[in-house]
Amino acid sequence: MRVVVDQDLCGTTGQCVLTLPGTFRQSEPDGVAEVCVATVPQALHAAVRLAASQCPVAAIRVIESDAGDDERASADPAPSPAEAEQRNPGGHDGTV
Amino acid sequence: MDVQETTAACRDAFAELASPACINDPYPFMRWLREHDPVHRAASGLFLLSRHADIYWALKATGDAFRAPAPGELARYFPRAATSLSLNLLASTLAMKDPPTHTRLRRLISRDFTMRQIDNLRPSIARIVAARLDGMAPALERGDPVDLHREFALALPMLVFAELFGMPQDDMFGLAAGIGAILEGLSPHASDPQLAAADAASARVQAYFGGLIQRKRTDPRHDIVSMLVGAHDDDADTLSDAELISMLWGMLLGGFATTAATIDHAVVAMLAYPEQRHWLQGDAVDVEAFVEEVLRCDAPAMFSSIPRIAQRDIELGGVVIPKNADVRVLIAAGNRDPDAFADPDRFDPARFYGTSPGMSTDGKIMLSFGHGIHFCLGAQLARVQLAESLPRIQARFPTLALAEQPTREPSVFLRTFRALPVRLHAQEG
Repeated sequence: MRVVVDQDLCGTTGQCVLTLPGTFRQSEPDGVAEVCVATVPQALHAAVRLAASQCPVAAIRVIESDAGDDERASADPAPSPAEAEQRNPGGHDGTV
Repeated sequence: MDVQETTAACRDAFAELASPACINDPYPFMRWLREHDPVHRAASGLFLLSRHADIYWALKATGDAFRAPAPGELARYFPRAATSLSLNLLASTLAMKDPPTHTRLRRLISRDFTMRQIDNLRPSIARIVAARLDGMAPALERGDPVDLHREFALALPMLVFAELFGMPQDDMFGLAAGIGAILEGLSPHASDPQLAAADAASARVQAYFGGLIQRKRTDPRHDIVSMLVGAHDDDADTLSDAELISMLWGMLLGGFATTAATIDHAVVAMLAYPEQRHWLQGDAVDVEAFVEEVLRCDAPAMFSSIPRIAQRDIELGGVVIPKNADVRVLIAAGNRDPDAFADPDRFDPARFYGTSPGMSTDGKIMLSFGHGIHFCLGAQLARVQLAESLPRIQARFPTLALAEQPTREPSVFLRTFRALPVRLHAQEG
């Protein structure tokens, strides 16, 4: 698994740094979040998905195992409730 | 027709929230609203969302399905928008900007609010906390009541801000006296006299910051005002004069009264639920769980002060919010939605034990700091002030008790106290 922060979207809230200080950091001086690991260790997969779902501006993108660095990624549990909700916010975001 | 029948039972939620019953305890009404009229249309035409899922969605969709008001658009709800200084200042704050302007301004200021910078403030916050508690001790130990709201809850964020802004403490106390009036004037239901009082206070703040900016220009120090003045002087396109003043004014508005209210509510919770006090005797994770639960149970800003304008017709829960409608979210109701937080009226820090700040063990977001692009800039600063305060209050005054029932501030927008008199229990009787 890899994880990237969209530098243009980042809202500099630092939420990801609070969640996973070893995986994310805030650049100086502007506070934009950066990823400080090349790949995410298996033990942190769930936590990284949670951090991505909690990002207030949805600037964190998780790339599941495209480099083949972790073939067990697909066996991970289902997304957290918050992630599921993010994709389908209560099923009531339709336009008319 | 269904919608009209249900809304007929509550013509205007903002008026209802101003009733004495709601000032005392707004949560029964918020529950009714969530269950019967979750996409409420107020008499003024404002929409008010009260379900957690709807609020969460609207906050995330800000900048997409919702935009900031266009210049002049505020006049729809504020007839005095063009002439009111407070509304003009509000229109220039970060909260009223869309990307990319929003992003540009937010990044200027966020350099002083990185997690590392806030962490660096811990020792000085701890010192201020200890000094304020020392100051309260003689009166309390004599058996006298002390107003914890004024002496501690308000004083702490003011002193922290004085340090951040590089201002003399007395100047900050002087400015802060007008903040309540400004917040009331910006409420959607504000009367003309309230708006006039807000403008008078805003004029004092504006004049003070004008002078402060000049002083920081000639004698820059390591503080937020000096940094912003530097950014402005380097490139006025990066930060205009109006934006600079509005930014400082907005931080003052967002930072104090909300933090003070949450300190008050934390102390009230500490006294009301002695069985939960152990959270404040534990480690940092325990204290953080207590802080998050206080924030959830009593959102200080009960609804969003920022207009979110629908970019298109939006259907929510069977109600059509028309394009260009102003949508507000009732954060305090979302935080008590049983669909997000089981048994929501129960004070239970375990919901946030060991989680990432702001997220429950069920993965639900605590809404008091908002979400999306306008997520509270000072969230972590507020959390650190609370975490540095509460264990020290408990350790210093273990027999603290209410001296009398606290007095609520009769505010629709801000759930806070006018006074929170406390005394030491052993001295009673």
